[in-house]
Amino acid sequence: MPSLETKNVVKKFGGLVATNDLSFSVDNGEILGIIGPNGAGKTTIINLIAGTLPVTSGKIIFSGEDVTNFAAHERNQKGISRTFQTVRPLDDLTAIENIMIGALFGQKMGLKDAREVAKEICKLIGFNNFDRSIDQLTVLELKKIELGRALASDPDLLFLDELMAGLNMEETYELIDVIRKLQKRDLAICVVEHIMKVVKELTSRVIVLDQGQIIAKGPYEEVSQQKNVIAAYLGEDE
Amino acid sequence: MNKKAILIILTALAVVLPFFTGAYVLSIFISIFVFLSLSLSWDMMLRTGQLSFGTAGFFGIGAYASALAVANLGLNPILSIILGGLFSAIIAFALGFVVLRLREIYFAITTLALTHVFSVIIRNLSDITGGASGTILPNAIFNGDPKLIYWAILLITFMVIGISEMFKRTKIRFAINSIRNDETTAKSSGIDVFKYLLLVFVITSAIQGVIGAFYAQQFAFVNPESTFSLNFLLLPIAMALVGGIYTTSGPIIGALILGLISEYLKLLIPYGHLVVYGVIIVLVVLFLPEGIFKSVKKLFASKDNVGSDINAQS
Amino acid sequence: MSLTKKQYIMLFLLALIILIIALWQPHALIYGIQRGSLYALIALPLALVLGILGVLNLAHGEFLTVGLYLSYMLYERFNLDPLLSIIPVVIILSLIGAGIYLLTIKHVLKDGHLNQLLLTFGVSLILIEIINIIWTSRPRNVFTSYSYSSMSIGNFSFGTYEFLYFFMAIAVLILLQLFLKKTRLGQATFAVGQNPRGAKIVGINVSYVYLFVFTLAVAILGLVGAVMLPRTAIFPAVGSPFSLKSFALAAMAGLGNMNGILIAGIGLGIGEAVIKSIPGAGGWADIVFFGVLIAVIIARSYREGN
Repeated sequence: MPSLETKNVVKKFGGLVATNDLSFSVDNGEILGIIGPNGAGKTTIINLIAGTLPVTSGKIIFSGEDVTNFAAHERNQKGISRTFQTVRPLDDLTAIENIMIGALFGQKMGLKDAREVAKEICKLIGFNNFDRSIDQLTVLELKKIELGRALASDPDLLFLDELMAGLNMEETYELIDVIRKLQKRDLAICVVEHIMKVVKELTSRVIVLDQGQIIAKGPYEEVSQQKNVIAAYLGEDE
Repeated sequence: MNKKAILIILTALAVVLPFFTGAYVLSIFISIFVFLSLSLSWDMMLRTGQLSFGTAGFFGIGAYASALAVANLGLNPILSIILGGLFSAIIAFALGFVVLRLREIYFAITTLALTHVFSVIIRNLSDITGGASGTILPNAIFNGDPKLIYWAILLITFMVIGISEMFKRTKIRFAINSIRNDETTAKSSGIDVFKYLLLVFVITSAIQGVIGAFYAQQFAFVNPESTFSLNFLLLPIAMALVGGIYTTSGPIIGALILGLISEYLKLLIPYGHLVVYGVIIVLVVLFLPEGIFKSVKKLFASKDNVGSDINAQS
Repeated sequence: MSLTKKQYIMLFLLALIILIIALWQPHALIYGIQRGSLYALIALPLALVLGILGVLNLAHGEFLTVGLYLSYMLYERFNLDPLLSIIPVVIILSLIGAGIYLLTIKHVLKDGHLNQLLLTFGVSLILIEIINIIWTSRPRNVFTSYSYSSMSIGNFSFGTYEFLYFFMAIAVLILLQLFLKKTRLGQATFAVGQNPRGAKIVGINVSYVYLFVFTLAVAILGLVGAVMLPRTAIFPAVGSPFSLKSFALAAMAGLGNMNGILIAGIGLGIGEAVIKSIPGAGGWADIVFFGVLIAVIIARSYREGN
């Protein structure tokens, strides 16, 4: 049974179709890449699956359960976690307290247990400045906090929304190692990325989106040769 | 440790104050504690990111619930204060399902409009409420004994401070800070945003109801004009702004400073001494968004920090 | 004036309701139109500031109060007829408004809405209290020979002075729209309201437009204040209820819909007047605006939610 399965998911904003007839699945222990030009609907997919936005039609099945009508916080408690493209940590909480939030509410833990969980996650992601305030952290550390918060709710399915953006090569590889570790823990992981190197390195499969439609599926090496995919990216033309 | 000792001494002083002063000074402190509690309750709601202009409204309906229960049903005044809180809490709970869908300016305006709606309803239910002229109770609570009244409001204030600290020290803090910072992230971290907003809305409204009920029992009098006065909204806001929002100490310090200043100004300018509150709100919003007290503290703290950094390096 | 289909339907319904009320409660109809026009007249400048600057000015009603008191002062000191005081009142109030804008509101335009609300709330308190200090809280009146003029049709008579509000509301509405469409400054204002950043790129002096719009709004309130004075007993809080009532109309009409404000104003004015005319229920009239305001806001939130 796949961890996540979407069936014909459609999202319309007014008359505008943001995603159309999306069907794909992710297995536990798999890393799926979601790629496509700007405005293709990548972040919208995350919003739909995490429950930030309601779907217009279609179904979202998570661990065999239909979660289409669940609120965002309920989906998180069930095991769907995500990071945000723009990290938004709480500046009146310390670094580790930011991570604790995931455990406190995603796993409904008490303060003490949540702190233990957060410490373990810090070990996993290689973060040591527990009690620093947020404004003293580097970009990499902020990204780690964001990832840590998402992990603290003990997800089975994890979405990473351009986690590597703004990092240098060395930092990127540090996070790639972390994600590999997570994969070994049997998490299903979806990465939305602009940096193709990361996609190539990490994913076993990708789906390519253009204007809300899936235009290609398969391993990155194959898909990146397809004509329609190249055309979609060329159309972007920066 | 030092801080703890100071707190204990201040608390003890507050408790024994009635043995050393007369009715006039006590009345000043009673009024300060009333506004202090309202100020804290307003701030607690603000910590979720929601600016409430409904403080006077829930104060008012609590006051009326208590006064009418005593006047018409002969309820014990002390119990009536609890009833006032309960009544406000129930109304807040029911309204919360609709009102808490709103954000920002819309939440603020709706709570302000609700205050007016409450007062219009009460003015027009004149058979029960006494209409525009209000209801007078035969007796003030504790037969008007200022010492007992002082201790009663002191107890209530301690409880409100306790609730505020609970908001600061438990899981609730993480939830409401997250909601204020970014609701989408909060939801994606498993926080039931509506549940926490409702919890805070009901608790703060209950506090406002209790304070309103106490006020009604203290003066043995309610009337739509004075009970729903916007002073019960504006003064608490000014106090929290002066002392610093999002903290327990802020509204306490703000209430003490402004309470004492305005007592003095009342004698100086009988009409219009509230202008000071307006000026303070404007100045704080423009120049010291963190509150006067916090800003001063930061000024000193930044000097301390320099010192500690040097120490750390050596 | 171009109207949408929805507005035509609204107008038709309004006309139908007016007809029914005219037959049933003629007094309420006339009084409602007069009051409603006044509400709309006061709401237009609030909506202008809300639409262009994005600031809900909670001191709006207090600027009206200041206008009323300025006119009263000129009447008392120099025996100047309130209607003649329009020009000096508009000038003085504009200066006060511009001054307050430059000193306070200008600096929170980029802040969050909460700071803007708190700030204008503070300004409103200051204005009320200054009036309290100068004139105390005693209610004051002026007497003019014309303000209680009336007209009769058969044995049915009614006051005519307050029809001035109706004509003024229409005049202000037309002038504002002509200004926004036909003049350069008006077009710039419109552009700023639509997209301040874009306007800046095109070379419009946005901060000048903001100052101008705020001053214009306050000037309109000065005009209204002077005209209201002959029929209004004034006290420091006399203008306060108008802030929320104006916001109610602006919210009902929707941003940028000035015609809607007049329609909504007259609609609610008549609603109030009808309830006032029902014996024993008159006190409930005050709930009309607040009830409608809450209902509109909540209805909007549900629509957005879906």
